[in-house]
Amino acid sequence: MTLWTFNDLHTDYYRKTVELWNEEHPEQPIDLVIDTYPNNEMHTKLLIALQSGVGAPDIADININFFHNFLKGDIQLVELNDIIEPELSQFVKSRFDIYSKDGKYYGIGFHVGATVVYYNKEIMDQAGVDIESIKTWDDYIEAGKKVLAATGKPMTAFEITNQRPFWPMIVQRGSDYLSEEGVILDNETNIEVLQAMYDMIYEHEIAIPMPGGNTGSEEFFAFMNNGGIASLIMPMWYMGRFTSYMPDLEGKILIRPMPVWEEGDFRSAGMGGTGTSITKQSEHIDLAKQFLAYAKLTKEANIRIWQELQFDPIRWDVWDAPELQEPLEYFGNEVVFNTLLELKDEIASPYYNELSSAAQDLVMNDVMFKALSERIATPEEALREAADELRSQQE
Amino acid sequence: MVKALRSLLYSEKVAPYIFVSPFIVAFVVFFLYPTINTFVMSFQEIVGLDSARFVGLENYKKLFNVHFYNALKTNTLYTLFTLLLLIPIPILFAVFLNSAFVKGKTFFRTSIFIPALTSVIVAGVCFRLMFGELDTALVNSLLIKIGLPPQKWLLGYWTGMLLMVLLHFWKTAGIFMVYYLAGLQSIPHELYESAQIDGAGAVQRLWYITLPLLKPIVIYTLTIAIFEGYRMFGESYVFWNEGMPGDIGLTIVRYIYQQAFQRNDMGFGSAIGIALLCLVMIVNLIQLRFFGMFKKERD
Amino acid sequence: MKKKNMLTSIVLILFFIAVSILFLFPLYYLVMASFKPADELFRNGLDFSINLDLMNLNNYRLLFTDGGGVYLSWYKNSLLITALYTGLGLFLSSMVGYGLGAYQFKGRNFIFLLVLFVLMMPVEILMLPLYKLMISLGMINKYSGVILPFVVSPIAVFFFRQFVSGLPKDFMDAGRIDGCTEIGIFFRIMVPLMAPAFGAMGILLAMQSWNNFIWPLIVLRTNEMLTLPIGLASMLTPYGNNYDKLIAGSVLAIIPIIIVFLFNQRAFISGLTAGGVKG
Repeated sequence: MTLWTFNDLHTDYYRKTVELWNEEHPEQPIDLVIDTYPNNEMHTKLLIALQSGVGAPDIADININFFHNFLKGDIQLVELNDIIEPELSQFVKSRFDIYSKDGKYYGIGFHVGATVVYYNKEIMDQAGVDIESIKTWDDYIEAGKKVLAATGKPMTAFEITNQRPFWPMIVQRGSDYLSEEGVILDNETNIEVLQAMYDMIYEHEIAIPMPGGNTGSEEFFAFMNNGGIASLIMPMWYMGRFTSYMPDLEGKILIRPMPVWEEGDFRSAGMGGTGTSITKQSEHIDLAKQFLAYAKLTKEANIRIWQELQFDPIRWDVWDAPELQEPLEYFGNEVVFNTLLELKDEIASPYYNELSSAAQDLVMNDVMFKALSERIATPEEALREAADELRSQQE
Repeated sequence: MVKALRSLLYSEKVAPYIFVSPFIVAFVVFFLYPTINTFVMSFQEIVGLDSARFVGLENYKKLFNVHFYNALKTNTLYTLFTLLLLIPIPILFAVFLNSAFVKGKTFFRTSIFIPALTSVIVAGVCFRLMFGELDTALVNSLLIKIGLPPQKWLLGYWTGMLLMVLLHFWKTAGIFMVYYLAGLQSIPHELYESAQIDGAGAVQRLWYITLPLLKPIVIYTLTIAIFEGYRMFGESYVFWNEGMPGDIGLTIVRYIYQQAFQRNDMGFGSAIGIALLCLVMIVNLIQLRFFGMFKKERD
Repeated sequence: MKKKNMLTSIVLILFFIAVSILFLFPLYYLVMASFKPADELFRNGLDFSINLDLMNLNNYRLLFTDGGGVYLSWYKNSLLITALYTGLGLFLSSMVGYGLGAYQFKGRNFIFLLVLFVLMMPVEILMLPLYKLMISLGMINKYSGVILPFVVSPIAVFFFRQFVSGLPKDFMDAGRIDGCTEIGIFFRIMVPLMAPAFGAMGILLAMQSWNNFIWPLIVLRTNEMLTLPIGLASMLTPYGNNYDKLIAGSVLAIIPIIIVFLFNQRAFISGLTAGGVKG
């Protein structure tokens, strides 16, 4: 069988998984060829292979941002309900919904991508703020003011060329860009949230537009590493970036749930993701399914996902397993998963459909830039404009 | 029979067809079908494996939207600026690095050429850091030293344009210099010598001998630069790989990728591509005609 | 007069030293970075200092050991494809360019237009049908599928055409009088005169093939068959980039084409060809 992925950490993970499989299933060994391609281009290649009917792999990792392209028209991916449904109760269900259409699941993710706040303890201590007392975004703003007064540093930074923390902030309130009814990008909640973000930057002055534009830029790594801001709102998978590129923050970073807007809001939101799928071109669909279940759904697999990939696994009944309960030196010597366990029932995921890619592009390219950085449109205008464009594409 | 073959080998009428035959073969085998197919797709909505529906001019009508206009504007300005840099400066590099005045020609030629080899992805890391928006980033810190305000390079249209043009110039000046260096070799020395005897200065020699005789190569570089300008992709991708704020960095080819592959709309993607092809062809044909390209030359 | 020449010479050399520094600066940074561990790279932003305590050959070692040394097979594939493509491409493209530049014949402008058409056709929209064509020709996951569709390189054809149209045609007539066949004239008389053009196009085709990215990626199917740019680009992921291997890998990737450049630029020695043969 062949498997395509766009991340060489995944490659290592699958390679080891096959070894384990072959040890446990000597009667049905798998010869798995794993090919690693660059991210965008792997999806282009997969699309071409699926559209021409030849050359697709048996199994493929598909990034969530591309996933719904593959669910257009005549779907070339295999339905996975039979392996997912028996296990579903142990999993964060919303993480399966993002890879589904009409009640059918087409992909299995690696991680929850639960959004949390990463606090720089050193700066918070300097400002005399107790992070445990930050429960609402109002508390967060007040804490930010103290930080600013004491250290001159902003509390946080918002992405301008990407969509965080705007997206998790609206999802935690049950809102989104799109819903089953259509485009809701410019609803009251979203306008309120974006306005609040705007105020954090220009009224309270506790936030700044992110240096480098987004959390993946090298300039931001250096800025964050040098203690440029007191906290960062990002998903759990960002832990890997901390440990790889920000060596000076070792031991200083504490992970806490997102504050809420009002009572009843969730304290997190699941962001990003990679759905692993089986293509209809596969000649071994049954075996591929068994292998996929083995690689993604079992307890052992989910423990390994944490150990080998540093992702927060989607199977919550492993979060209290001893392997995940080890304190992490980098993150203040705390047990990170205790935070996550607390949040277990508060992790919503965004709603995705065919319009998602266009909606995200508009938020990343236009809304954040116009409303938060250039201020050439008010948050309300920017959202309305983008929503109108989306509606015109929807027909 | 042998005689016929012999006369074929000597025939000035037949020879050119033999010479161009590899191109004809390659075109028929590899390009004819895909080109027709793409053209057909541009009138279709492709909904997956082998299922397509004709939609008439629908895809072309969709071109009239603000993102395509933005891309068109960016490509046009970008092409203009790169032309202004890439035509004259590499000529000067080539002329000087071909002259007897400069010692260490090979070293200088090589160092101007090397950027062409540096992977765009990796060079991008360096450019992004050099042009970072913080006061401590290299270029901003220099600006501050000479009393100018620091810039958010990646968030402004014109500063963003400047970065793309600079990166392109840095990467391409070397190979353009190579084109001109090759062209310079076909200019006979005697011309310069007799001009010098007639008392022509260096500038006059450049203007009256070098440039006119370099004309075929200049036409070539002009065509290539226009074509590369309109199909630019990497220079933008390096700076804005995800969000392109306010469509800075949205170019026509990026628009093709976005629509054809990220949105899985091959039909619309093809229509954008065909529009791009027509645009580049028209601009270049006007330019080539202006330089007398399709006239029968001499004889 | 002599003094003035000296002065020009010094000014020019100083000018080019400045130009070289500007052009080589990013490369200098990357070479420095290739010796540093990944977590040092962005600690302080753009850090181009030489710090021997931090610098080591680890990234290069990783490059050759990680993934069973797959970097070496990418390198080998790239070398092979580049050599084949450049060799064949030069031969075929120079013929076509010569045909278009040296002769007046019916259909000349049409064929030239067709060359421009192929040159300007955006390859992005050709990929899907071209991929289908490769399947029916059985060229998927083969070097031939990477090389053959683009081997008659329109950009090189165009350059050879331009170069040849700038050469004096007296040589061709002289050859005819001496009883050469038309093909003989090309190989024996014109090819040597076209040496600078071969030099330039040798560099261009090698460079293009070496950096070619999207088409090989579509055609090639297994990791061992992939080329260098694809392999290197796959080190960038949405969840983090392997800067250490990526930068070291790209620094090493520069070497072969520099050799091609150094070798080919010997064709640019003024007066060696056109002027020299004339006499």
